[in-house]
Amino acid sequence: MVASKDLQIEWRTLETLSSMVLFSLIVLVVFNFAFDLTTVRQIGVARLVPGVLWVTFSFSAIVGFARSFQIERHRDSLSALILAPVDRSVLFTGKALANFATVAALELLILPLSAVFFDYDLLAVLGPLVAVVLLHTLGLCELGTLFAAVAARVGRGEALLATLLFPVASPLFISAVKCTSGVLEGKPLSSVSNWMLVTAGFDVLYFLVAMLTFEYILED
Amino acid sequence: MRGIKDVLTVSLLAVTAVLMFGAIYAVFVYVPDERIMGPVQRIFYFHVPSAIVTFFSVLVLLVGSIAYLWTRQPFWDNLSRAATEIGLLFCAVVLITGPIWAKKAWGVWWTWEARLTTTLVLWLILAACLMVRGYAENRDQGARLAAVLGIVAGLDVPIIYKAVDWWRGQHPVVFGPGKKNPLAPEMLHTFLFCLLVFFLLYALLLTLRTRVATLEDRARAISETLGGR
Repeated sequence: MVASKDLQIEWRTLETLSSMVLFSLIVLVVFNFAFDLTTVRQIGVARLVPGVLWVTFSFSAIVGFARSFQIERHRDSLSALILAPVDRSVLFTGKALANFATVAALELLILPLSAVFFDYDLLAVLGPLVAVVLLHTLGLCELGTLFAAVAARVGRGEALLATLLFPVASPLFISAVKCTSGVLEGKPLSSVSNWMLVTAGFDVLYFLVAMLTFEYILED
Repeated sequence: MRGIKDVLTVSLLAVTAVLMFGAIYAVFVYVPDERIMGPVQRIFYFHVPSAIVTFFSVLVLLVGSIAYLWTRQPFWDNLSRAATEIGLLFCAVVLITGPIWAKKAWGVWWTWEARLTTTLVLWLILAACLMVRGYAENRDQGARLAAVLGIVAGLDVPIIYKAVDWWRGQHPVVFGPGKKNPLAPEMLHTFLFCLLVFFLLYALLLTLRTRVATLEDRARAISETLGGR
């Protein structure tokens, strides 16, 4: 319910998604200044593109996470949400799902663009790549939503959120880069299955932790 | 002297101070030079205990955070806060002594090796926990948010440790399963002694910082009762 409310607002305004898309485009372009196509071919797509992709995804996701609690802050409707007769963990699930949907939509737009910019064959690796991206995005969104709530409570924006999120999410980034790199090399998903399993465990663990601790963040 | 607590604290201070001099003597005089690395290896006796104490501090932070959210006793919050600050301090010691050794042994100040990355990430997490406390509107909110972060950080550290280890590792592993203890007896003694001293120092700092935080609470409560700010 919370998720559908957030997604409805998002669908009507496209405010967050459009700013995220523009932002990630800029990040991609900046990366192209740093590594032109000759460099990319020299280093190899599988070694360079994973880093580029995940920096782009996480930076733009931060923009989205920070906004996800700002809508409520502006109109003070977070108190209304808190007063709703549902468990706080339901609020977390809703927020995290809405964030996940938004970031996933962004990634579906960015992946083809990155294939064009960095010249790799997206269709050949599409299935495994999407699986890798979505699994890691889920974990990122759980932590991001939790920390966005923290940052919103103390009235700080993206800067604090990034400081909190990036160190804690570092295992996720390591795994994400490893898996993406393996998949881009054309290996099957099973070759990175240990990393995928760890990430799945990470997703579950942080979902449980967030469910248990979210109410303490919202409490007044 | 008022009460048994003060006596204990002061004796802990005295014991730690005396033993710390002993540790410095052991590190610089008693223990022999390492055959290949030479004198720079002596940094190991401060570096490794600091690292162990840092990880222990994260454990204290995790326990304190859970206990605070459970009981809402300010003591647990003060303990977690002390563990965060002192953990950050020891982590900084690790990050400073490490490169000094690495420059001699590896030829570079810093490399993105597994444990180094883990330690730096850990330092950042601890610093972020303190930042949130600083930004909070009031003490209660800061305590709650910091406790949530403390739990996440405490659970995250083993994961980061493992993940980074799989990712890449070239750190010298002195003690480990299936490895014969390579240290000369003097080295082992010095190491264990330094470990003890660092744990005592940690206990001392933790006690003092927790008590200062408790006193701050009391001072704030008194000034609020008096109506002033």
